[in-house]
Amino acid sequence: MSYEVTWYPFSEHPESDSCWSLSVGPDGRIYASSCCEGVPGGTVKVVRYNEEADAVDYLFDLDKMVDDPRDSGRATQCKIHYSFAPSMHDGVMYMATHLSGPPIDLPAYSPWNFWHDPERCFRGSALLAFDTKRDEALWWDTLFPKEGCRCLLHDEDRGLLYALSYPRDHFFIYDLAKRQRRDVGRIGSVNAQALFIDRRHRVWTTSDYGRLIRYDPDKDRLETSPYVLPHNPEFQTGWHSVFYDVVGSPEGDCVYAVSWIGSSRLMRIWPDEGDWGRVEDLGPVTQRPDPTTPANTFQDHCGGVVFGADGQLYYVASRWNDPVYHPMSADRRTNEGVVWRLDPATLEREEVALLERPEHNAQYVSRGAPDHNGDLFFGHVGPSPVGLFKLHMPEDRKKQDAHLPIRMWG
Amino acid sequence: MAKRKQYDRNAPGTKELVDRIVHGAYTTQGTMVAFPLCFPGMTTPIPADESHITALDVAADGVIYGGTSGRQAHLFFGMFHGATGIVFDMGAVEDADHAAAVCCGQGQFLACVNGPAGGRILRRHFQGLPFDLLQEWGFSRPPFEDLGEAVPGEHIVHAVADAAANRAVVATENHLVSVDIGEGKGRVVGEIPGRGQIACASRGGVVGVDDGALWVYDADGEVVKRQAVPMPEGDWDDAGLTWGRDPVTGTLYTADGQGRLFAFREETGFSECLGTVPLTPVGPMAVTFDGRLFGACGDGIGKTFCYNPVTGAMDALGVAVSVLERRRYGYVFGAAATGRDGQIIFGEDDDLGHLWLYFPRILRPPGLTGA
Repeated sequence: MSYEVTWYPFSEHPESDSCWSLSVGPDGRIYASSCCEGVPGGTVKVVRYNEEADAVDYLFDLDKMVDDPRDSGRATQCKIHYSFAPSMHDGVMYMATHLSGPPIDLPAYSPWNFWHDPERCFRGSALLAFDTKRDEALWWDTLFPKEGCRCLLHDEDRGLLYALSYPRDHFFIYDLAKRQRRDVGRIGSVNAQALFIDRRHRVWTTSDYGRLIRYDPDKDRLETSPYVLPHNPEFQTGWHSVFYDVVGSPEGDCVYAVSWIGSSRLMRIWPDEGDWGRVEDLGPVTQRPDPTTPANTFQDHCGGVVFGADGQLYYVASRWNDPVYHPMSADRRTNEGVVWRLDPATLEREEVALLERPEHNAQYVSRGAPDHNGDLFFGHVGPSPVGLFKLHMPEDRKKQDAHLPIRMWG
Repeated sequence: MAKRKQYDRNAPGTKELVDRIVHGAYTTQGTMVAFPLCFPGMTTPIPADESHITALDVAADGVIYGGTSGRQAHLFFGMFHGATGIVFDMGAVEDADHAAAVCCGQGQFLACVNGPAGGRILRRHFQGLPFDLLQEWGFSRPPFEDLGEAVPGEHIVHAVADAAANRAVVATENHLVSVDIGEGKGRVVGEIPGRGQIACASRGGVVGVDDGALWVYDADGEVVKRQAVPMPEGDWDDAGLTWGRDPVTGTLYTADGQGRLFAFREETGFSECLGTVPLTPVGPMAVTFDGRLFGACGDGIGKTFCYNPVTGAMDALGVAVSVLERRRYGYVFGAAATGRDGQIIFGEDDDLGHLWLYFPRILRPPGLTGA
């Protein structure tokens, strides 16, 4: 079965070069970040899929909302990076910005180089509370100064946001009631791309060395797992096998994660089992690579891990033409974004769609989410303007309120 | 404010500028190697939140001894010459969360640690070289000898070994204590508020700040001279004062709150300002055998710097980054020492702290530019 796919370019933001964030909001609609990190002075626009118009609505320019104009001379509010987090009780969508976009009058930005430069240094990750019921920004704050937010999570029961900062890779807790942040400490250098929370309110991520890192509120401490997560044993050590994307199972008893490295592994983690949970290695999600060449991060990739209303796991893994290890016919794109559907019971997977842009490859998907109707959406990173894909789910695989239980992290 | 014009990415020189911005951020001279606090592949490192390295010293045989701070203090040794390559956690120290100093004697070292109840002094014998850490090995973890409180109820601020490595001079919150490392006994030799680091100077006197001046302790004569040398004019943040010592000449270096660098010798006193360190606060410093001073500066994401006393040049060396042994950025350093072969040993004062071995650039002889 091949699902229908529609491409929605961010044509009203022609300079957009990455859609890092795509999440379902508390209202069941799809929100995405139209980011611009390659253009001096580039900034992010927040967009939303409009199902009535079957189009993308441009909600706002984030730099204007948080009073950090693009022509300030500082690094810009250029993107939202895995940092949408919904709040169900009040319909708020939290979002936190990330850095890397150059100041308007420079061709590049380095947070290391400009850390001490008051003229150039990124002001800080802006945390914005957006009311999805009234379509208005309620308030904003600086989540942490000078750094960007790599990923965000909301523990709604306790009114806390959790975040990883970049570049210092610190783990932060933000108290929404007090609007106060607390720096718990540094994890490493690589920076994981995702956090998840378990039923005991423990927050999990990964270290540089592919180990689980867990923050337990009862201990108020970051702990490291005694084992390394699955990785390719032929040429990898576990280093850099940090989380790229993580989704919770509909039952809430386990998560599915992929790692941010070539030959990305799919794994299933049962966090409540034993001291350190139980990890199942579900194997590589992309083809066998050339082991003598470091994988191109933008070619060998997997993201958009999401559960469909049919209880099946969907994700987008790249496929590419490799004349030695994976030759593909000349009529194919050199890089493809393959949507896989995996049965959690049997662990068998089937290819259900190819993501295709009219003029470009579409192998790099950042995040995926179901909307309230049960269709799936995927954010794309690639040539400008970027955009999002809608995967039209077959009717018998859809349901209303398919976004519930909602994912609480970006 | 004048409106800024958008950069034209087709402008000439763009690639060079991008390279300067991106790659110019990191270690621009020499090589940094971050070594974890473990025997890689054989042991687990000291827990991340117990591994802030705040104390270092190097024994005459080149073995490095250090202490960590955090949730719990640990003492460790590191060895990197011959068939070694290890950091060994000698153990966590009960009721201690801060290592103020480690002082190498002759055959033993003292560690000065702090906890809620105050500062204590521990002792252990030196670690002998193992047979061969590529082949086979065995290590034990003998207990530390607890020599007790330096001064009851007072925290230890800093300590150094004297020039002969017979005694350690320990500065507490309000006292100066001289400890015979071999005998393991100490006595109060002065009532002086401890502020910042202390150091062993060019004639063997131990010095520390003393309200706008230096006190000088003559370890042989066991005499403390208060207000012995006035500090040069500057913005002195006594509590954060650090010293770097030239292991060949004994010249000391320190910097004020504005980063102004001064040299100090007991024979001649303080120098004129030698230059300004690129960022403040100025952190730990150490001097290699040719006289170049290396240090860390700046908070949050600190950078390293070099002062060359021959040329008078002060160079910013960028953010420490290691691509050998471990791929890691180094942001905060809490201690520095000169290694056996003149390399600089930095102790990373951060979660999952590493020992950083810095191998400075070898300077070309004057007048030679290469073939």
